[in-house]
Amino acid sequence: MLLKITAPTLPQLFEEAGRALAELMAEQWTGDPAAATELVVVRALDREALLVEWLNELVFRSETRERVYPYLRVTGLTDRELQAQIRGAVPNLLRTAVKAATYHRLQIAPSTDGYTATVVLDV
Amino acid sequence: MERPPLKKVGEVVYELEREFRPDMHVPLKVFADEQLIGQIQRDHSLEQLINVCTLPGITRTALGMPDMHEGYGFPVGAVAATLPPDGAISPGGIGFDINCGVRLLVSQLRFPQVESILPTLFHELSRNVPTGYGRQGRFGLSSDELDRVLNEGCTYLIRERNLGFEEDLERIESRGTLPGGDASCVSERAKQRGADQLGTLGGGNHFMEVQKVDAVFDDGAATALGLALGQLTVLIHSGSRGLGHQVCTDYVRLMDQRLAAHKITLPDIVGTCAPLSSGEGKDYFAAMCAAANFAWSNRQMLTQRVRETFSRVVGATSEAGLSVVYDVAHNIAKLEQFGKQTLCVHRKGATRAFGPSSGEIPASYRRVGQPIFIPGSMGTASFVLVGTDEAKDISLSSTCHGAGRALSRSAAKKQVVGHELRKQLESQGIIVRCPSNTELAEEAPLAYKDVERVVDVVIRAGIAKKVARLVPRGVLKG
Repeated sequence: MLLKITAPTLPQLFEEAGRALAELMAEQWTGDPAAATELVVVRALDREALLVEWLNELVFRSETRERVYPYLRVTGLTDRELQAQIRGAVPNLLRTAVKAATYHRLQIAPSTDGYTATVVLDV
Repeated sequence: MERPPLKKVGEVVYELEREFRPDMHVPLKVFADEQLIGQIQRDHSLEQLINVCTLPGITRTALGMPDMHEGYGFPVGAVAATLPPDGAISPGGIGFDINCGVRLLVSQLRFPQVESILPTLFHELSRNVPTGYGRQGRFGLSSDELDRVLNEGCTYLIRERNLGFEEDLERIESRGTLPGGDASCVSERAKQRGADQLGTLGGGNHFMEVQKVDAVFDDGAATALGLALGQLTVLIHSGSRGLGHQVCTDYVRLMDQRLAAHKITLPDIVGTCAPLSSGEGKDYFAAMCAAANFAWSNRQMLTQRVRETFSRVVGATSEAGLSVVYDVAHNIAKLEQFGKQTLCVHRKGATRAFGPSSGEIPASYRRVGQPIFIPGSMGTASFVLVGTDEAKDISLSSTCHGAGRALSRSAAKKQVVGHELRKQLESQGIIVRCPSNTELAEEAPLAYKDVERVVDVVIRAGIAKKVARLVPRGVLKG
């Protein structure tokens, strides 16, 4: 499953990628205002690998906590480290089971609208 | 990339010589007829198979099966052997769903007598078998118990937890236990993902199907396998769930970081690998074996759920009558003997196909060969085949694993309306249980290659023999 995401800035690109993952995993969800904000730190060798690590972190949390994560805010980003605050929502109708984000056809590139990323998910 | 000059070297065999690209260590072969080779050339799978030929330590020939399609790293439907101790092991050559595979159960129930209870039976199956992703297994394991599943596989479940019969073990590839499995090489994250998932079907293309044996092509082999016309069978397609996915994720990351240290350069990063003799190569092999043990245990637990359901709906005597025909892995790497050589055979979307003379198949099957199950797409027939001795030389004792995708999931959704497909299948007398119409559309028959054509190719190639055809009567989709 190919995800193609465009956003004006790199932090927004990572946020959008996370939201796209949530929308792929669940058709509907119920927000839980009382849900605790979770802090996430992921590291990788480069920016593209960081996107894979970020999505795989969300896949792991979604599966083990029975949540999707549509509420995401990137608070720090370098080519090798991402910090974010995320909050889960309860899925009402599950959609696609995602096994993992992969390196297949992985790309982040500047575009006329800012940045565009392509990442393939194994579903 | 320049279109590879495939040369037709047999009735259903195409070859690309090693000299095509300077970094190829071996040639490649694809088993296909003219229509299937055309479909294969529409995606990037051939380019991926060429990349497989560059794997350090690869030997003999990289092989593409007739159901080959684009994957992550290796294409799905590929087989490659490397030479231990320093040849590579590649997580991308096995896949995220380690030991995704199929198990066929045969009951003593027969059509048309079973027709009247089929809706109830299927309804109860759909209630008793957890589907979709997540943690709904209702068979929570303590940390120690999970480790025993990872280290001992089905042997632990059957002998110590009474979750099955002793004769089940004989009819599972590798008796449901790879001795190299080591729970200490599986991360805590992977264990967390798998802890509650034993006995769950999962999502994606995983399914459980109630079927009828509607054709027998080889009476002797069918009898040996316990199959007869009109019998009710149950096909289970599932794998190692989140645990296996996380094992792959963990080791792709680790091996990728160590590529330079091993002086390995690869044309495709997902083909990341490590020498089998290296620390991470050994650890991955042990983790992969453990995940494979988990997957066989998962299918064993699913078998028990089917048996419980049959017992409740049909009566207690049916439980003993529901027996395992065989259980085969689709995504795995194993050390196998070829003449005097031990090879590490990667099968990604491919099935082991040992012939009658193999000592590794059940004694009762040694006159006919190892059973192989080729599921069709939803609503189409599945086939029971057996392996041949000739497959050892022709295809590293391997054959295809299914129809193989012809359209991506996105493309399928554009062409198929889920609720219409549901109605169409029901009008054919097939009960469908799938919570999402979107998911249903992704697995529509037109998204797959023609399974009869795929099977025909492996028969003509001499790597399997056709035994029986199974038609679906109920599909439970993850």
